[in-house]
Amino acid sequence: MSETILEVDAVTMRFGGLVANENVSFAVGRGQIFAVIGPNGAGKTTLFNAITGIYQPTAGRVLFRGQEIVRGLGGGAVLRAVIVGLLTAFGLLVALHISDLWSKSIDDNYEYGEAFPYAAAVRSFFATLGGHFTGWGLVPVALGFVIGAAASFALSMNARRAPDLIARAGIARTFQNIRLFAELDLVENVLVGMDSRLKTGYWHALLRLPRFFHERRVATGKAMELLRFVELDKKAMERAKNLPYGHQRRLEIARALASEPQLLLLDEPAAGMNPAETVDLMRLIRKVRDRGVTVVLIEHHMRVVMGISDRIVVLQYGKKIAEGTPDEIKCDERCIEAYLGKEELG
Amino acid sequence: MTRERLRGTRRTRSAWGGGRLALVLLLAALLLPAANHLVGDFGLLDPVKAIFLYAILGLGLNVVMGFTGLLHLGIAAFMAIGVYAFAILTADIYPFQLGFWPAMFLTLPIGAAAGFLLGAPTLGLRGDYLAIVTLGFGEITQDVLKNLDTITNGTQGINPVPPPTLPWFEHGDQGWMLTWYEFQKDAPLPWYYLFLALLVIIVVLNRNLEHSRIGRAWMSVREDDLASKAMGIPPVRTKILAFATAAALAAFAGGLWASSLSSSGEPANYDFQVSILALCIVIVGGMGNITGVLIGAIAVSGANDIVLQKLFEWMQQNGWTSTGSVFGSPNNWKFLMFGLALILMMRFKPDGLVPARRRKGGAPADPGPAAESSSHEEAA
Repeated sequence: MSETILEVDAVTMRFGGLVANENVSFAVGRGQIFAVIGPNGAGKTTLFNAITGIYQPTAGRVLFRGQEIVRGLGGGAVLRAVIVGLLTAFGLLVALHISDLWSKSIDDNYEYGEAFPYAAAVRSFFATLGGHFTGWGLVPVALGFVIGAAASFALSMNARRAPDLIARAGIARTFQNIRLFAELDLVENVLVGMDSRLKTGYWHALLRLPRFFHERRVATGKAMELLRFVELDKKAMERAKNLPYGHQRRLEIARALASEPQLLLLDEPAAGMNPAETVDLMRLIRKVRDRGVTVVLIEHHMRVVMGISDRIVVLQYGKKIAEGTPDEIKCDERCIEAYLGKEELG
Repeated sequence: MTRERLRGTRRTRSAWGGGRLALVLLLAALLLPAANHLVGDFGLLDPVKAIFLYAILGLGLNVVMGFTGLLHLGIAAFMAIGVYAFAILTADIYPFQLGFWPAMFLTLPIGAAAGFLLGAPTLGLRGDYLAIVTLGFGEITQDVLKNLDTITNGTQGINPVPPPTLPWFEHGDQGWMLTWYEFQKDAPLPWYYLFLALLVIIVVLNRNLEHSRIGRAWMSVREDDLASKAMGIPPVRTKILAFATAAALAAFAGGLWASSLSSSGEPANYDFQVSILALCIVIVGGMGNITGVLIGAIAVSGANDIVLQKLFEWMQQNGWTSTGSVFGSPNNWKFLMFGLALILMMRFKPDGLVPARRRKGGAPADPGPAAESSSHEEAA
C-alpha cells in the first residue's frame, strides 16, 4: 500500500451508555477509494462525524497524514488566556469604579471653555485606578483575571478539534441527509466550499478594492469548472433547493471539492439515486480519485461498493468485523451473515 | 455557459433582483422634496428623514438576522451606545468636543467594539439562548445609561448635541472662503439629503458585503450551521463579524439620531420597543434582502410616523378624539398593530414583502422530492 493518508486508530465513540464505535482501526492509503459498509446503525456516520470533528472520539485518535489535526494548547492558547484574563480584570476594575474615575479624570480636569489637558486626565485616571488597586480592591481584579483566563482557555479547549479546522486541513465531506445551503445558488454553494482557499478580507469586500474583483473572477471561474466537473454547470444560477435529488448529491460533491481537499468523505452518495444516476455517480467518484483526491465512502448499494472500492471495512454494532478487498469481503462468512445476505450476491 | 454570460446573469438576477426597485425608491426619495414644494407642504420631510434612520438601523439588524440568521432582540442597545457616544464626544459639557464628522465616524468602531464584547463570549450559544442574551443586554444597557448619571446625565439626557456640518464656500470680505455650514433646525432640506446620502452609502456597502466571501459565509451559517463548519467556515468568528457590523450600523444610526434631535434623549427612548420596531422592519420587508429592509422601513416607520400621526391629527380636528383619551389616540394602538402585522406576515407571507433573492422567471426546474428530503428545516 502506498503512503497512508488517514489512519483511524482505535476510535471509540460512546454516548452515555450507547457505544456507537468500539475500538475501530483502519488505514486509508493515498489515492484509494475506500468503502465503509455495514447494516444501519453500525456506526458508520458516527465514525465520519468523529473523523471530521463534529464529535470528539471518547478514546482513540484520528491521524491525517500521520498527525492529529488539533489546535495547539501550547503558547498561543496560554498567552491568549492570560491577555483575555488581564483585560477582563482591567475592565472589571474600571467598570466597578467608573463614576469615580470619570469625575476625577474628566470632570476635575475640565474647565468649561478651556483646552482639556489630556495628559493630566490620563495621569489622574491611572492615579485613581491605582488607589482602587489595593486591599479588597484586588479581589475583583483577581476574580476578573481568573474568570477571563478560564473562559478563554475553555473556549480554546472546545475548539481544539473544530470541524472548520479539520476542513481547512484538507478533509472535506458530504452528508447522508444532504445539507446544502438551500437558498443560495449553485455557484455560491461551491464558493462557500472554497472559502478556506480565498483571501479577500472584510475590508477588501466592504470597499471592493481591486483584489476583490480579481479574486471574484478567479473563484467564480473555478466554481464553474467544478460545476462542469459534476455536470451541473447548466444550472449554475438555480437555487440549491430547486435541484432534483440526484443533482443535489452531485452539488454536495462539487462543494466539498472546492476546498481542494486531499481526502473526501462521502456519506451514502448513491442514496435515493436511480440505476442510471448510480452509474454516473460511480464514474464521478472515479474521476474524483483521478484528480488525486482520496475517497472514503459509506454506501449501501453493493454494486457501487464492489464496483469501485479498492478496499472495504465492514462495521457491525460499532465494531470492525472485516477488512479487505471487495473479493475478500464478498467471500467473508461473517460479512455475508451480518450484512450482505446470500441472495444479494446471487 | 461562458464565464462572461455567467457573470452577467449573476448580477442581474441575484444582486440586482431587487436593485431596480431600490433605484426607483432612490429616485422617489430624491424627488420627494420637490414634490413637497410643488404640491404643498405636507410636512413629510421630517418623518421621511426618520425613515432613513430606521432604514439604517434595519440594515444593521438585517446583517445579523437576515444574512446570518441569528435572532437579535437588543439592537436598540447598540443604537443607545451610538447616541451616547456621539453626545459625549460632541456636547460642550464634556471636554472632547469633537466635530460632527469625527464623532460620527467614531460611533462605528465604538459600536463594533460593543458588539464584539457582547458577541465574543456569547456567540457560541445556540438560537434561543443568544436571543435571550441580546434581550438582556438591551435592558442592561438602558439601566446602566440611566444610573450612570455622573457620565450620562441620567434620565435628563445630554443636550445640546450639535447638528451636522458640511464644508461650504462663502463669499466674504476676502472673496470666496471655505467655511463650515451648520445645519439649522428650521431648514429641513439639508438634513433630508444628508441622511439620504448616508443611507445610500450604507446600502452600497451592505450590498458589497452581501455579495462577497463574508456575506456568503454569513448566509451559509444561516442556511446550515453544521455544513458551514464542515466547509471550513469558522462559526464564532463569522458570527462575531456579523454582530459587530450590525452593532456599528446601529450605533451610526444612533449618532445621526442624537444629532437630529440635538439631544441624546433619555435612556428609556432606546428600549425594547425600538428593537421590536427594527425587528418589524426586517421581517415585514423580507429577511436577508436589502431592498426589502428599505420597503420595511417605509412600511413600518411610515405607518408609525406618518399615517398614524396624520390620522390622529385628522381625528382631533373632527373632534372624534381628545388628547386625554387613552384609547382615542392611534399612537397607543401602534404596538397592537405592529404585533398584528407581525402575526399576519408570519402566517401569510413569512418571506416578507420582498422575499430574499426572488428570481424572476427562474422557475424551479423540479421541486420534486428534494424539498422534503433535505434537512434544512432542522438546521434553521
